[in-house]
Amino acid sequence: MTRLLDVSGLKVGYGAMPVLHGIDIHLDAGEPIGLFGPNGHGKTTLLRAVSGLLQPTEGRITFDGKDITGAKPSAIVAAGVVHAQQGNTMFGDMGVEETLELSAFNPRAREGWKDRLIEVHTLFPRLAERRRQQAKTLSGGERQMLSIGCAMMCNPRLLILDEPTLGLSPRLKGELRDAIASIAEKGIPLIVVEQDVEFLLSLSSRLYLIEQGEVTNEIDKANAPDHQEIMDMYFGEGAH
Amino acid sequence: MDGVLIPTLVSGLLLGSLYALMAAGLSLIWSTLGVFNFAHGALMTLGAYVAWTVTEPLGLGFAVGIVAGIGAAVIAGVLIEWLLVRPFYENRNMMLITVMTTLAASTVIERGISMIWGPRLKQLPRVMEGQVSIFGAPVSAHEAFIIVLAPLVLLALWWYTSRTRTGRSLRAVGQNQDSAALIGIDVPRTFSIAFALSAGLAGLIGILLGSIRFVTPGLGADPLTNAMIVVIFGGLGSLGATAGAAYVIGFCEALLVLWLGLYWTPSVLFVALIFILIFRPNGLFGKSA
Repeated sequence: MTRLLDVSGLKVGYGAMPVLHGIDIHLDAGEPIGLFGPNGHGKTTLLRAVSGLLQPTEGRITFDGKDITGAKPSAIVAAGVVHAQQGNTMFGDMGVEETLELSAFNPRAREGWKDRLIEVHTLFPRLAERRRQQAKTLSGGERQMLSIGCAMMCNPRLLILDEPTLGLSPRLKGELRDAIASIAEKGIPLIVVEQDVEFLLSLSSRLYLIEQGEVTNEIDKANAPDHQEIMDMYFGEGAH
Repeated sequence: MDGVLIPTLVSGLLLGSLYALMAAGLSLIWSTLGVFNFAHGALMTLGAYVAWTVTEPLGLGFAVGIVAGIGAAVIAGVLIEWLLVRPFYENRNMMLITVMTTLAASTVIERGISMIWGPRLKQLPRVMEGQVSIFGAPVSAHEAFIIVLAPLVLLALWWYTSRTRTGRSLRAVGQNQDSAALIGIDVPRTFSIAFALSAGLAGLIGILLGSIRFVTPGLGADPLTNAMIVVIFGGLGSLGATAGAAYVIGFCEALLVLWLGLYWTPSVLFVALIFILIFRPNGLFGKSA
């Protein structure tokens, strides 16, 4: 069986500065995966390379058997890989509804966009309440909802969420996590970046720990770490 | 006074309409790419010359001439984007570099026009013949046509950028390129569309202007300075603000010409711009962000 997403030997750098030193991750259909690890160790860089915003210097990315290494972001979205950025304001001067409508931009997303808009409104009723508001007037949590909502409007075949609950209040965090869980239940394959390993484990079957631009650990339900082990992974042995 | 004021206001309205059409093209590129196209005036001139060639020596009629002139400007505009702007997208100094490259393009086009068409003055036919009267002031039908056309074109542009998929994508790219790319918008293609549209507008205005004034290699460069004042005055970007500023500047210019004469008007306009920017750094109608 072909893998839905296969990243192998991926190296990416900013200018002469290498950030990723050969990453291998993969995702099978119907299997959400999670990425975690300290900030500034290459998670976002990896996602930007997958969605075409960064050009890898080495390695290969295939999606559904098709090589998408170094393809244009618009072509990658059209193929079905959709990436909701971290802490993203989308388009400040655009209305919420307008932004969602525009997000059904790629040819695959145009048919049935109205049904998908209803789906997004069911998922995030607040976006329906704020439909006439400009994106820049939204709160942090609402912006996150808009960002995920826009990604859903793209009709994703693989949805990548980069720290969707970063910096939110516990109540909003809960709301967003419920929404993400219900997206996963719809059967949309997910790659979620989060710091909260327990949340990731509730969502996905496999997790990758990314440190210093490399995958340093792969975890599945069978070898799920306890709290202490997670602390060790983040802070080194012996931390409490 | 009464006998002069109304014709002056009508001439202000005409100037405002021309500036609005020019500034809308400039502001379209500014709000999508964040660069100023200094070759906008040269594209106007090119449109006028090509329209003249097709209409007069080739004798294919003014309608064909208009289409050819606009088409030539669009092609030149897309080429400018492709050759002189696109290579610098990733550059941190893109804005300054493109000031130089588009200025260079402007010089090359103007000199090229001088070489190809020579120094003899040319004149385009009018879109409409005859006279009409606006509030008792006699105006040529051609000028009245421009006065009516400008708000219609602006309205069409507003509708395009706020109601259509491609038009909205122009605004999205202008506000956040990464996010636009991640919802599947082809960003470089959008830049080309912005340049093509803006250049098409430039070609149209060049042709309209070429029926009022003589067609010379400097046809577009002269009013362009004022159109740039308009764009900055209006607060960079928003179409409504740009249009509002165009009419304010048009009326001011007409009244200043009446009171001070042609000689001092441009200087006074610049001084006024500087004063306005001191008190309203984001332009006359700009948001205080």
